[in-house]
Amino acid sequence: MKEHSVEIVVNGERHHLTVGSEMTLLEVLRDRLGLKGVKEGCSKGECGACTVLVDGRPVNSCLLLAVEADGKEIITIEGVERDGQLNPIQEEFIEHGAVQCGFCTPGMIISAKYLIENNPDPSEEEIREAISGNLCRCTGYVRIISAIKSAVDKYSMR
Amino acid sequence: MQEILRKKKTEYRYVGKPVRRVDGYKKVTGRAVYTVDVDLPGMLHGKILRSPHPHAIIKSIDTSKAERLPGVKAIITGKDTEGVRFGFVETPHMPADMPPLAEDRVRYVGEAVAAVAATSEKVAVKAINLIEVEYEPLKAVFHPEEAMKPEAPAIHDVIYPSGRSFWQEWGVERDSTPQKVERNIASTLKLEIGDVEEGFGNADHVKEGRFETNVTAHGALEPHGAVARYSEGRLDVWLSHMGPYMKRYWLARTMGLPESHVRVRPAFVGGAFGGKIDLFDYEYIASHLSRLTGRPVKIVLTRREVFQATRLRHPMIFYIKTGVKKDGRITAMDIKAIDDTGAYRGTGPVVVYLAHAFSIPIYRIPNLRYTGYAVYTNNPVRVAMRGHGAPQARFAVEQQIDEIAEEAGLDPYEIRMINARERGDVLPNGDVLNSCGLKEALTRAVEDGKFLQKYGKHRGKGRGVGIGLTSMFSGAQFYPFGATGVVLLHDDGGATVFTGAIEFGQGSDTMMCQIVAEELGIDMERVSILSGDSELCPIALDNWLSGGTFVNGRAVQLAAIDARNKLFEYAAELLGVSRDELQAEDNVIYSADNPSKRIPHEKVVKYAIHRNRGQQIVGVGHATPVEGAYWYPSLTTGKGRFTGAYSFSATFAEVEVDFETGVVKVVRIINAHDCGYPINPVLVEGQAEGQGYMGMGQVLFEEVIEEKGTILNPNFLDYLMPTSIDVPEMKTIHIETHDPNGPFGGKEVGEGVIAGVVSAIANAIYDATGVRFRKLPILPSDILDALEGRE
Repeated sequence: MKEHSVEIVVNGERHHLTVGSEMTLLEVLRDRLGLKGVKEGCSKGECGACTVLVDGRPVNSCLLLAVEADGKEIITIEGVERDGQLNPIQEEFIEHGAVQCGFCTPGMIISAKYLIENNPDPSEEEIREAISGNLCRCTGYVRIISAIKSAVDKYSMR
Repeated sequence: MQEILRKKKTEYRYVGKPVRRVDGYKKVTGRAVYTVDVDLPGMLHGKILRSPHPHAIIKSIDTSKAERLPGVKAIITGKDTEGVRFGFVETPHMPADMPPLAEDRVRYVGEAVAAVAATSEKVAVKAINLIEVEYEPLKAVFHPEEAMKPEAPAIHDVIYPSGRSFWQEWGVERDSTPQKVERNIASTLKLEIGDVEEGFGNADHVKEGRFETNVTAHGALEPHGAVARYSEGRLDVWLSHMGPYMKRYWLARTMGLPESHVRVRPAFVGGAFGGKIDLFDYEYIASHLSRLTGRPVKIVLTRREVFQATRLRHPMIFYIKTGVKKDGRITAMDIKAIDDTGAYRGTGPVVVYLAHAFSIPIYRIPNLRYTGYAVYTNNPVRVAMRGHGAPQARFAVEQQIDEIAEEAGLDPYEIRMINARERGDVLPNGDVLNSCGLKEALTRAVEDGKFLQKYGKHRGKGRGVGIGLTSMFSGAQFYPFGATGVVLLHDDGGATVFTGAIEFGQGSDTMMCQIVAEELGIDMERVSILSGDSELCPIALDNWLSGGTFVNGRAVQLAAIDARNKLFEYAAELLGVSRDELQAEDNVIYSADNPSKRIPHEKVVKYAIHRNRGQQIVGVGHATPVEGAYWYPSLTTGKGRFTGAYSFSATFAEVEVDFETGVVKVVRIINAHDCGYPINPVLVEGQAEGQGYMGMGQVLFEEVIEEKGTILNPNFLDYLMPTSIDVPEMKTIHIETHDPNGPFGGKEVGEGVIAGVVSAIANAIYDATGVRFRKLPILPSDILDALEGRE
């Protein structure tokens, strides 16, 4: 198998890695960089648990080859908290009871972050749409939606 | 109980409040460690070769090519595990029937045939593909009613005991006997209460029908997985599961180890919903491979394997006959239930019992006959899934109640109010309804949804409303038959709770911390918890038994009270007052008679430790589901006490049906739920909403499609679960009934609601279309077919 050298910036930190051509970004993040907050639920881009931001856009990291991530900037759930301060989305997820088992939560928060930072005033339909690729089997989504609505208000106050 | 009632307050500080969950921070920051995240030094990766045949003889297995592959450390087949058996059900007459690896025969697609441990997952996958298995396919059967015919192929012949049954281990001294399986019937439950024929004779209206429910998947986001580390005769395991004690019992027995040498370690669990109870092949295989190689072994299943080779919801067929008087009183009901339990027994005998046991607390039925069969087929194995028999039974019964009400000229609300049970009712098995908010829940749901104003108004015109009732147990007499809780007080006045109860998303840890902070009168931030560690925690009911609050929560509450009582002894000494006048609040212990006499917890604990030379204050509490009952009810007669408290709920559902496309849109779900007392309303509502969502999925989308035992949609793209776009408006109404035996009056909430949701939506679809659908799921194509008069 051919080895490639890639350079990626993950949560602000630059990494030079040698990766196989079949290796996914998810494998790099979890197995090479130890970022276990990025979850693997289906390995096929169906559940959204492995969602990360790649150059600012939400991506199922199980579907992206590591070589395709070369030169890109990646934000995972581990990079959402800043200086020990939770992001408003994280705060509101706890506050609203939007977390149960928590397995979908990292990917869900990343999708919400992309939405809010690109659409400061989303409608409920837009919120539902934004997380429609992130499956949650516990909550029935209602509290996730209300948490994101609250986070939108908090963002606008920042 | 007097001890519990001693602390009388009108307002609690933590209990009854929407307190933030204690594991929230870890979960929103990606710090929560799940089993799939556990990596150990020197760890190997395991993969399992699974059968492509639903029923076949294994003629030979050649592992030689795989053995030569660099990186392969061990390969095992059924020969290495011969005679090892496990199973969710094991009674003296129903020996455990499942091998971790098939020996001479495979009985379902996905059955484990061989397993490999290798230095990487990739090598392990390569290795299993190099294993050559020669099969001789056998005739297979996939429908339970076909399987019951005399000419059907026999899936099991005689099932021999693999040792003392667990009932013997736990004190029922009855020898195990081999089970001769006739007509593929894994178990039969027969019971009759009153005189059913006479009951039908007295009825003015009689209705009969056949109902059929679907195979659904739990869909927990974390795939099933295990990490096992065997060393020096001891086994450490990290599992994605629902309770350490069943797992420990079966791992100890199958591995030939004493219980104390098996440690189920705590790990966060990414959803379970009933689907992670059983011991699984891969859990045993990882342990066995670790013993063989001397290295830790990790196995994580692929999503396809989770569907095909773990467990699914039982599909059931019901033949139901109901008789009512003109005034709506039910005179008799006759139910025959047939469960397709799959190739191994799974929870078949239990679901057949539970479909009855979760129904009996709802209506007063003077004459009842119930006959249930769990039937082997060559389908994948079934286990509990949220409600375990209740959604299946309610789908059937609640629809038939609506049908017969219509015939008798009554509305669905009326007929339910006439027949619904009340507090004080004693069930045929002796269970007592010490709390029962069923009628109040029904009335509140009906009023809130404006059911009576809407019902029948748009019959057959695309908009409809429906209601459904349900009940659920709060822990049963199954191993370990109760719970012990421990609360340890630290020098600074803080506390640690120890409980074997496992947190799998429902909020068990948070509820426990709330209870302890409340009882001790300290800040919740001062309470930490260690849960779900089979070695460091005292025993508790595994949380699939729905006794998380009622039993495990109460054990912890009593432990906190015990610790408080001890604390008060010392405080009384220090303050020079009587113990009985003390109260604890805001980290201070004070005299209720003279509040100026006060002392912080911290000082009292320090004093207690110093005075007693290191004797720390440890509170211990114990609770059991049913006082005075020792065993689970009989799975063949249904006799015996079952639980100490039932919770109840009524669901209102409103739907719109598009007659062009057949698509059903659920507009609103209202769950009025009696969990006794919501110790944490947000957690309780979260459970109700999750079940609203899941119940809606079961009616409208979800169906595991099995084609000759092979699942055609073993992934989230083809197995449709509702998404954020599909979920309707949901509301939870709390019905507080304060069960006298629950902690702060609390009882079950995690799995009953779904059954009401399923039946309410089904009834609403009838109201909207004028057509009764008796088979789940109700797909757009079914609706179009029915509206166009097609079969």
